[in-house]
Amino acid sequence: MTPRPKQRRRRIRAFVVAAAATGIAAAGVAALADSPAVAPSPPPPRADVDAQALPDPVAPAFTPPKPRSLRSDGVATWAPVRRTVPARLRPEVAAPVVATLMTKTPEETDNIVLVQGREADQDGRLWVKVRIPALPNNVTAWVERSALGGYTVVRTRLEIDVEAMTLTLYRAGRAIFEAPVGVGTAAWPTPKGDFYVRNKLTRFASPFYGPVAFGTSARSRVLTDWPGGGFVGIHGTNAPELLPGRVSHGCVRLRNDDIVRLAELMPVGTPVTIT
Amino acid sequence: MNGCGEREERIEPELTLGELDRDGALTEAIAETHGESRAEFLRKLALGSGALVGVLAAPPPAEAQVSEVAILNYGLGFEYLQSTFYTETERVGTVARMDERRATWARTLGAHERAHVAILRQVLGERAIKKPSFNFGGATETPNSFTRTAVAMEDLTVALLTGQTPRVRTPALLAAFFTLLTVEARHAAWARRIAGFQPVGAPLDQPKTLAQVDRAVASTGFVSTLLPRTTAAGRSPRFTG
Repeated sequence: MTPRPKQRRRRIRAFVVAAAATGIAAAGVAALADSPAVAPSPPPPRADVDAQALPDPVAPAFTPPKPRSLRSDGVATWAPVRRTVPARLRPEVAAPVVATLMTKTPEETDNIVLVQGREADQDGRLWVKVRIPALPNNVTAWVERSALGGYTVVRTRLEIDVEAMTLTLYRAGRAIFEAPVGVGTAAWPTPKGDFYVRNKLTRFASPFYGPVAFGTSARSRVLTDWPGGGFVGIHGTNAPELLPGRVSHGCVRLRNDDIVRLAELMPVGTPVTIT
Repeated sequence: MNGCGEREERIEPELTLGELDRDGALTEAIAETHGESRAEFLRKLALGSGALVGVLAAPPPAEAQVSEVAILNYGLGFEYLQSTFYTETERVGTVARMDERRATWARTLGAHERAHVAILRQVLGERAIKKPSFNFGGATETPNSFTRTAVAMEDLTVALLTGQTPRVRTPALLAAFFTLLTVEARHAAWARRIAGFQPVGAPLDQPKTLAQVDRAVASTGFVSTLLPRTTAAGRSPRFTG
């Protein structure tokens, strides 16, 4: 509240009186100090502070680096499926079911999906558009966000050229690994389209697959009764002399040195494009 | 009214994660993203589906015996939480759907929190804790749930730093903590302003103990103990070959 003029004048007067009293007291002390009969006393506290006499600020032990903007180009996101959930054609509870997503893969690793987008329905329920491991290949569908776990980001992307029989891994848009591959025969073709790496298997007792095998979301259109559902893998081989060539049941085969190197560079969740 | 059509200067109850049980604002924001009622969401949390866990995936150190390394590491855990939250919000495209004023705020805070992580990791070196796994469960995926959660998170950060900064004994480290505290306080005020709340909730900030902060974070289920298992050893492939 702003003081009224009369109150204000009274406060100013009180301040001036107090200041004058302080000055008189200080002068009195000084006069006493000049007297030889009185012992000297310490100087009175000064009303004005000498800023120069104050210490410098303590230097911080650390200073954060300059903040940087986020670079999101060339980034893909995946999430684990945390409960068995219907994947629907549209982001609606009543929409037709495209497939049912399980929490585990045939290899008993956690099932994952590649995140493509999101939308809230009329009730405010959040839906996520995901690429799913189902036939027909290249299919996307909508699942409730609550059925998925936390997101993980990858910066890699794998391209497989069936005609050229080559595989190229990119990170942040730059090619970092390339290798010749074996692909499916005419009877058991390697499916084309957009997929993703679902899991990584190591130390298994099957020389046919080499030392490392990646599972993908791609499925053979022909070998649908294959154990596990006919999923296409990317793996090593015990017949490197056949590579590059059209030699597989649809899987992508690499020489063992190459698959080991690829395993060092490529995380699970990496998008895969087969052309 | 501002450019978003929201009323500014609304005085809201203190929006902190620590007061979740009292006003339930964050729970409601999270539950909304799941299309569930608050009661339904809390019931699921109680059943364990939220994977409750502390920010460091371990009990916080005893209040009286906490060391400067422990304080730095706890701060790093919290900065991991914040930086991942803002980064994910930007990556999933939520920031791009905001108006310019809100998007600038979200991007700026994200860049700051990432810088905080970088410096704390550098200071701690090999003693730095690893980044936990997070599941924001949709809180990053709509502008409203993101904004409300950001307000709660920034307020809690201020309460955390207000409580822990006086425990730091090394003058240079204490000075550095003050630089963090003042910036986080401005983050909180900015977030409140963006959300349409009064920038300063109370005349004095109330410190929170590590245990209080840990309970608040755990109640959100944002820190996940269920790490995805995507690699298996010794299991034969069943691929077509």
